[in-house]
Amino acid sequence: MLNLADVPRGCKAKVVTVNAPGMWGMRLLQMGITPGAEIEVIENSSTGPILIRARGSLISMGRGIARRILVELISH
Amino acid sequence: MKEITVAVAGQPNVGKTALFNLIVGQSVEVANWPGVTVEKREGFREHKSYRIRFIDLPGTYGLTATSIDQVIARNFIISGEADVILILVDSTIPERTMYLLLEVLELTSKVVVVFTKSDMTHSAGVHINYDLLEKKVGAPIVPISIKTPDSIGSLLDKIIEVHEREPSKQLIKVDYGELEPFIRSVEEVVRESSLANEFPARWLAVKLLEGDRDLESRLLKRGEIDLLKKVRSIQGEAEEILKLTMPEAIATKRFSKVIEVLQGALIIKGMPTRGRGEHLIALLYKPWIGPLISMLLVLALFTIVFTINTGFPLNVVLESIGLRNLASYIENYSLSHLVSRCFDYLSQVTSSILSDSILRSLIVDGIINGIGIVMTFLPLIATISIVLAMLEDSGLLPVIAASMHPFLRRMGFSGHMVFPIAVSFGCNVPGVIATRASPNFGERVRAWLTIAFIPCQARLIVVLAFATALRSLNGLVLMAFAYATALLVFMAVNKSLVIMYRRRRLYEEPELLLEIPPIHAPIPRVIWWITWNQIKHFLIKAATLIFLASLASWIMLHYTSSLTYTDDYSLSIGMSIASVISPLLTPLGFNEDLAKSIGFALIAGFFAKEAVLSTIAIIADEEVPAKALNILGVNDAQLVFLTIFTMLYVPCIATLVAVYSESKSFKITLSSVALMMVTAYAISMLAYTVATALMH
Ligand SMILES: Nc1nc2c(ncn2[C@@H]2O[C@H](COP(=O)(O)OP(=O)(O)O)[C@@H](O)[C@H]2O)c(=O)[nH]1
Repeated sequence: MLNLADVPRGCKAKVVTVNAPGMWGMRLLQMGITPGAEIEVIENSSTGPILIRARGSLISMGRGIARRILVELISH
Repeated sequence: MKEITVAVAGQPNVGKTALFNLIVGQSVEVANWPGVTVEKREGFREHKSYRIRFIDLPGTYGLTATSIDQVIARNFIISGEADVILILVDSTIPERTMYLLLEVLELTSKVVVVFTKSDMTHSAGVHINYDLLEKKVGAPIVPISIKTPDSIGSLLDKIIEVHEREPSKQLIKVDYGELEPFIRSVEEVVRESSLANEFPARWLAVKLLEGDRDLESRLLKRGEIDLLKKVRSIQGEAEEILKLTMPEAIATKRFSKVIEVLQGALIIKGMPTRGRGEHLIALLYKPWIGPLISMLLVLALFTIVFTINTGFPLNVVLESIGLRNLASYIENYSLSHLVSRCFDYLSQVTSSILSDSILRSLIVDGIINGIGIVMTFLPLIATISIVLAMLEDSGLLPVIAASMHPFLRRMGFSGHMVFPIAVSFGCNVPGVIATRASPNFGERVRAWLTIAFIPCQARLIVVLAFATALRSLNGLVLMAFAYATALLVFMAVNKSLVIMYRRRRLYEEPELLLEIPPIHAPIPRVIWWITWNQIKHFLIKAATLIFLASLASWIMLHYTSSLTYTDDYSLSIGMSIASVISPLLTPLGFNEDLAKSIGFALIAGFFAKEAVLSTIAIIADEEVPAKALNILGVNDAQLVFLTIFTMLYVPCIATLVAVYSESKSFKITLSSVALMMVTAYAISMLAYTVATALMH
């Protein structure tokens, strides 16, 4: 298990848990980032926010938030 | 005529603004939601002997609110005030956007569904069997595209149909699987609550289990704390057994239900391809190159806007390479020059008609001048709105925000602030209002305090005049120095605020969470709606304010403290106020009279920064500001002081009003004044000292 911020660009991962604090956690769940959901990491450049695709839409998120999402890698 | 109230709800970016404008056309009325500055937009449409009232709710991802705007949307939906709820689903990403629909269907059956952007499904590879979907959802579904809006009529039919139909039982039941026993226990508990008279017990049970803050506080308000404790203990038990938090478990089940409903009715052919738009997104996402391109793009757009409106900065460039004629041509045919010439003409005509001197002065110097200032701003506001609307509608704005995020973080801002900062170079007022885009409250407070350090257009005009009045120093160098100083001060003050908040453990790292919609060519109709909305807003709000301000400054300049009219400004109310602050200016080598005059000009600048120049012109009795400064005997070092001071001191009154109406806090509003005054005085004193030393 690793956090979403550490998933390299081009990889797919399955969400295990979302434990972002307060309202951020709720917002993530409503945007479809729920346990079991598949996420594709489109861009991840170690400095800026990461870009992912979840349930068909692109989402940009700060690394602080991405670190609170635990995932399992699916494929390369 | 019977009336139907329809709430229009959907997730952000679903196409709600576009559809709302399409349905109600010009009948939009803008008010505020009670207690907050969030705009409430309503419109009407008549259809088959009904008057249908549409209320545009702020975009929301689900029925648990995660921001101020969303609290409004959620509370309106659950209040039952609407006869019918219109839920929008984005037909290019149905799985994600049906979440809100599902949550609403758990509460009520008075729902009509619109699938938006139906023209785009084909290129997105999405195929939807609407008949089947309608059967599974139970509510009518109407696919609509704003490009070919022929199904609006059938949408209105469905709204009336649902309104006239007997309320049916729940249309969709989400199976929460292993959560069901816990939901049933909570249901037993909430049946005792007074809330059970207002909402279905099962819905209450699910929302409470999910940890809905608003329902919890409603329970507390009614003194049902024991009930809440029971719910919390069931919640804890469930989380322990299922090894998942309740919000996670519940959202997961809802999405499973969405997928089950879509099963068979939705086919997505092929993987989403990386179109041109996505290559652009990838480029802007690259470290270093991305932020650079974003910055250049925004800079280029604003340069064009300002050149059209004022001639700057193209005129300065042309002049410095020797093309004086072309430069003045561009200046003379810039929009704000054209508008101000019209008003000059109008004042001339009016003064030749009116003979009574007080009335003439009031109408010409006070009213026409005041309206003139407002109108010279109008083309600028309009063009800035168009540019921003294009950035917004094309989907570029969120990408730019994401690419600038790492850079802005260094001074405590997130990518959400790109837009407010960019707008502020034009005018601080819309900049302050645009801070709403950020979900980080701390970041908004810091922006309210400091955004007026960003040099707006009006300051540019004043500083330009100061620069021309210089005798031995170079004007362009002073301008560049002034801009650099303002930006450095903006960054440094924010950095210090961050350090201060961090020490007091009040600092929260500003975070970014943004949906990146597909990039496309802007739709002219949408651009027009957004722009028109902004212009109306400006004309109503800012105009009354600037108008009153110029009236006030006319009175201050033309009346003595015993309220009799005077032509001699040195006897006016303004001058007596100026004599209070003039001691602050004497250390700069101004004699007492001059210190008073300059002080008065600076006070006038509080109403609108351009007023600094017009006041100096009146005092010296010389129309050209640069000559006026020379007549008054202001030397180069003093001009350096005035330039920097004008750049940094007190936000104009319109900005202050915006800060107050956003923050609803006198403390924040007054702090921003204090912060700017102290910083401005200290830094411009320093600049004066350095300039004096340099010249000897
Ligand atoms: N192609 C197409 N684009 C649309 C349609 N409706 C909205 N859009 C685009 O979708 C984006 C979001 O629309 P907007 O009305 O601002 O969404 P809101 O955030 O829900 O108010 C904008 O870029 C619109 O141009 C439509 O019917 N067809």
